[in-house]
Amino acid sequence: MNLVTLPTGCCIRFAALGLALLVVAGCQRAEQLGPVAEASSAERIREAFGATVIEGVEEDASTETVVAGWGSLRGRFVFEGQPPPAESISITKDPEYCGKHDLKEETVTVSADGGLANAFVFLNPKRGETVAVHPDYDQPGIKPIILNNQGCRFEPHALVVYTAQPLEIRNSDPGVGHNTNGQTLGKNAKFNDMVSNQAPVTKKFGKSESQPAEIACSIHPWMKAYVLIRENPYMVVSTADGSFEIKNMPAGEHEFIFWHEAVKSLRGISVGGAETSNKGKVKLTIPADGELDLGEINVPSAALGG
Amino acid sequence: MLAIAAAITLAVGCSQSEPPPFRLNMVEMVSQETSDDYQQEIADVLGALFGTPDEPVALEETGLDANMLARSAGPAWSDEKGVQRGLYRKHCVHCHGISGDGRGPTGRFLNPYPRDYRQGVFKFKGTYTANRPTTDDLHAILNNGIPGTAMPAFSLLPNSSVESLVEYVKYLSMRGQLETALISYVYDELGEDDDGGRIPLDPAADPEQREIVLELLAEIVEDWEAAEQRTIAPDESQIPSDDRTPEEIVASVAKGQQLYHGKEANCYTCHGPTALGDGQQNEWDEWQKVQQKFLEETNRLAKSIQERASQDDQDESSEARLEEDKQTLAKRQEVVDTFYPIRHAIPRNLRQAFYRGGQRRLDIFWRISAGIAGTPMPGSGPASPGATANLSDEEIWNLVDYVMSLPYEPPSRSQEAIVPNKDEIF
Repeated sequence: MNLVTLPTGCCIRFAALGLALLVVAGCQRAEQLGPVAEASSAERIREAFGATVIEGVEEDASTETVVAGWGSLRGRFVFEGQPPPAESISITKDPEYCGKHDLKEETVTVSADGGLANAFVFLNPKRGETVAVHPDYDQPGIKPIILNNQGCRFEPHALVVYTAQPLEIRNSDPGVGHNTNGQTLGKNAKFNDMVSNQAPVTKKFGKSESQPAEIACSIHPWMKAYVLIRENPYMVVSTADGSFEIKNMPAGEHEFIFWHEAVKSLRGISVGGAETSNKGKVKLTIPADGELDLGEINVPSAALGG
Repeated sequence: MLAIAAAITLAVGCSQSEPPPFRLNMVEMVSQETSDDYQQEIADVLGALFGTPDEPVALEETGLDANMLARSAGPAWSDEKGVQRGLYRKHCVHCHGISGDGRGPTGRFLNPYPRDYRQGVFKFKGTYTANRPTTDDLHAILNNGIPGTAMPAFSLLPNSSVESLVEYVKYLSMRGQLETALISYVYDELGEDDDGGRIPLDPAADPEQREIVLELLAEIVEDWEAAEQRTIAPDESQIPSDDRTPEEIVASVAKGQQLYHGKEANCYTCHGPTALGDGQQNEWDEWQKVQQKFLEETNRLAKSIQERASQDDQDESSEARLEEDKQTLAKRQEVVDTFYPIRHAIPRNLRQAFYRGGQRRLDIFWRISAGIAGTPMPGSGPASPGATANLSDEEIWNLVDYVMSLPYEPPSRSQEAIVPNKDEIF
């Protein structure tokens, strides 16, 4: 008894063709992106590792870095073009308190005279390179850097943390709960702590992160801060009027990274006669007992993804 | 027509499918703009150090037990004596995926999605937020399952099988973590500069690179080994005794209720004033956040390209940049197309009388003290041994009492949360 009526005539040929194509082509999965390990290359690399006797990583004998003097770096970021209007944030939590502060998106903050704030400039030493630190930076009783939950935003919005300094996270909003969520850290221990009005939370970091990390508050999800943690103090965030200065740097040619939260690496910016690379990197020479003044650094709106 | 079909099948052959390979973490690769050459090289290094799903490799430095891995790896089959092999592919792969990325064939149909091991972040454990889970933590998850999710309990498996699977999960996790470390290493230190040079990632040829790769691996392994000592042990003197009087318990529950609605713990703000988990639902957990940010950046790039493409006056470098960005957008869009729907992190409904991470009082204590790693749930206890805490141990135990009393309150009987995205809660 035929339970299934088979299509007759030409239709069956097409059906068979379809079946054949399916069998031959296979059922391609939607995601098969990216390459797969190549067996012979993997074998070759594995042999190389097999041959390595691991006795632990040897500490680099610290070489006396001869410093040919100290200099400083300064400049001012200027936003080119029409700055995007600062959008108001819709306050979904604690509106009685947070709503009072007229909070706005701070992704691209431009001053009245065009200064671009919250852009990072930091030294990028090579792996294993010991960076000479000027004694001014390593004073005993070094003060902590303060990150404050205040007015339902982070103050400051962008900051740098030298590993010699502890980071003190405060909550200055009376009667408002904040948690500071630092789970995007790469090399340092991730954290997500409630911060009370009474006692700040102190963190001490030990490793350099390769870029600024985004710190958030889960209770007030619009709150964001960008924190750069490095093992050397040569880093800075541009102030409200776009200016920045790093003092007491070891003289010589160094690589710097230019970074902004809107686009991460600031690429294609003209700095000191050169252009920042795709990773926001550029080589600059710091003069001994002098100052490298980069002057006004133009940041076109296209460079910030505008 | 049957003859035609049969002939075609014979012609093509009934070949066994090839063993599945490990795949790469494309979100990380593309977001760090890793070129195709580097992707292949990273895949090769991972293949060297961790092998394939059928033939795992574990360097001595990883501290992983080769025999345990061997039992979990490979195709699922059982020998004459009935000993099961290929345990991971038998029990885990259909949800957690061959690379442990949580994207097995059934992954997209589950709520919540299966865990992605590759970040080394696990939610339900007894260690501080920053630390990895201990072997015991993972063992407990496998034995108890995670009630309220599709993760079943495997307590009917022999203990040796569960141990073997725990080892394999760590192996997949370490592999994923090393992949991310290699991507960062390539981005930071190798990579292409505008002057056209490319330093290949080839540890076989370059002993310095070999040392660096081993350093990266050592950091990862150290975290896993250190975790074993990092279980949060509540202060013995503060643990409520087993023979409390009913009055004492009621007093503790009342205190817990005050803390729940108070401003130090702020539980109500996310879990809702009636603890139904309806307080706030617009945050993401870390796994979804990565995808959400990737999606937002991709959309921003698309918008920027659209705006620039419509401009007529372009100089050469802008044109070149536009072309580059279009290629980047195509790669990003490929990855975005593979995403499952991105879901918010819904705070737990505390009136349900079952808890995902374990239902002992200690488990609830751990959730409140350390928070839940990878999620918006913050910790109110010390973030590391000796650190200052937001709440004292006693206060946390009060909260534990309150939370565990909630399912027995009259309002807890079959109440539905009234929220706009009901389909994301259950």
